[in-house]
Amino acid sequence: MIGGTRRVLAVAGNTFLEAVRQKVFAVLLLFGLVMVGGANYFTEFSYQEQFKFLKDLGYASIGLTGLLIGLLGAAQLIPGEIERRTILTALCRPLRRWEFIWGKYLGLLFLLFVMVGVMSAAVWGVLHWKEGQLIASEGGDPAVADLIRAEARDPRMLQAVLLVGVKLAVVAALAVFFSTIATSTTFVVAMTLMVYLIGHLQSVAREQWLESGEATRWLVKSFLVLVSLLIPDFNLYNLIDEIVAGNAVHWKATLEVTGYSVVYIFILLGAATLAFEGRDI
Amino acid sequence: MTESQRKNIYGFTGPTAVALREKVGQGLALATLGGFRGLAANALMLEAHGAWEEQQWVRVRSALELATMLQPRVVVFWDMASWHLAWNAAVSAEQYSGESNETRRRMEARRWVEAGRDLLERGTKAVPEKAILFQRLGDLYWQRMGDYTSAARYYREALTKGDAPPYLERFVGYALDKAGDKKGALDYFRELRAKMGAAPDPLRRPEVVDREIQRLEKEILSTPKTGKIK
Repeated sequence: MIGGTRRVLAVAGNTFLEAVRQKVFAVLLLFGLVMVGGANYFTEFSYQEQFKFLKDLGYASIGLTGLLIGLLGAAQLIPGEIERRTILTALCRPLRRWEFIWGKYLGLLFLLFVMVGVMSAAVWGVLHWKEGQLIASEGGDPAVADLIRAEARDPRMLQAVLLVGVKLAVVAALAVFFSTIATSTTFVVAMTLMVYLIGHLQSVAREQWLESGEATRWLVKSFLVLVSLLIPDFNLYNLIDEIVAGNAVHWKATLEVTGYSVVYIFILLGAATLAFEGRDI
Repeated sequence: MTESQRKNIYGFTGPTAVALREKVGQGLALATLGGFRGLAANALMLEAHGAWEEQQWVRVRSALELATMLQPRVVVFWDMASWHLAWNAAVSAEQYSGESNETRRRMEARRWVEAGRDLLERGTKAVPEKAILFQRLGDLYWQRMGDYTSAARYYREALTKGDAPPYLERFVGYALDKAGDKKGALDYFRELRAKMGAAPDPLRRPEVVDREIQRLEKEILSTPKTGKIK
């Protein structure tokens, strides 16, 4: 067991270093940081709106950059290794296939968490800078200054960062799953993006279908249940919108979504392991 | 609707998804915006701001309607949207439009005020747990429609929420007074003062309430009994 863990971590470390050395990820991170910095130009609005704009753009930048990094990183995992034939060198060693998959996923996850950490720090920096700027211009009244501080230092932002992180972890697990059955990187990117979009649409479509009364037949209902089981409901992560809007979101709800994500990640990685075990390389 | 109510009714879905569900007939494609809905709503607010600077009120309204539809739980959107319609657009229609007929100008202004009110009413349904939109609705009835009884009703409603500012409790009495219900206003202020107790929070300004009680008592006493005070 300890040997297995060590091998998984070795693959994870290798995957992380390999990804870090690629310029494309640095460029993506830079793109994300520029987006976060650029959010500071909405100066014609009230301070609540300015903070909302900053937070929205900050989380969207983290989400978009993470999505691209996760997709591109995972797309290169198996198909890239097969193309370069480096997978043969890896698998001829005493390394089980599941260890390879889990190691690759953990490496990618670590890369995503580093990216989320760096970008969250940048968002925090921009909010802090905006706080100083707004207090200097509007914070003559101590009550207003307190409100500005409360907006800038809202502890719920931690919940939002956690939600962005676990959403990216699910997307990465999806991409890893597709990379175990794919023969090209395009297939992985296209399939993951498709499931990502369906994941955002499915709960809205399901509710609409159920309310319209058309889903009375058991076949239709079974189809809806199947879709909701197979595809993660990405609308759950819209709790971030609530946090940005300044509404109360309990940690319990955040942790429920996190738990839901962890379950999906395990299912996806289990399926990826099964698919990879039976694959001819 | 509280978070637990929402969860009981809609199951394990995010609140914004629920709000979108309510509007889904207006375009399922909106849902594809997915995690970037906030950005789209912000872009619409910027569009509304630009249109406001150009005094293009129909564009302002459509951008604001869309922004509030995309993110119905954002209080500041409803607040800003109703202010643009009920104040800026209405004043512009009444005072600066090219229409020479005053009645038509007033009717047009009234339509904008009603549009702002309708928007705020929807806002209070989307964010029923916060005081601010009820307070704004009270302000709108008071300042834009001269309906002080409705203003008092919405201020009362705002006070049932936990986050109403302390000064708002006096506004119910002021609105009743403006509506001509001096007896009602006096009763309200007396009740309010009694609730404050012997050592009231200075932020609640008990001295102002005492002053209002004295003023109203004086006015009621000095009015002939045949007067029309309710």
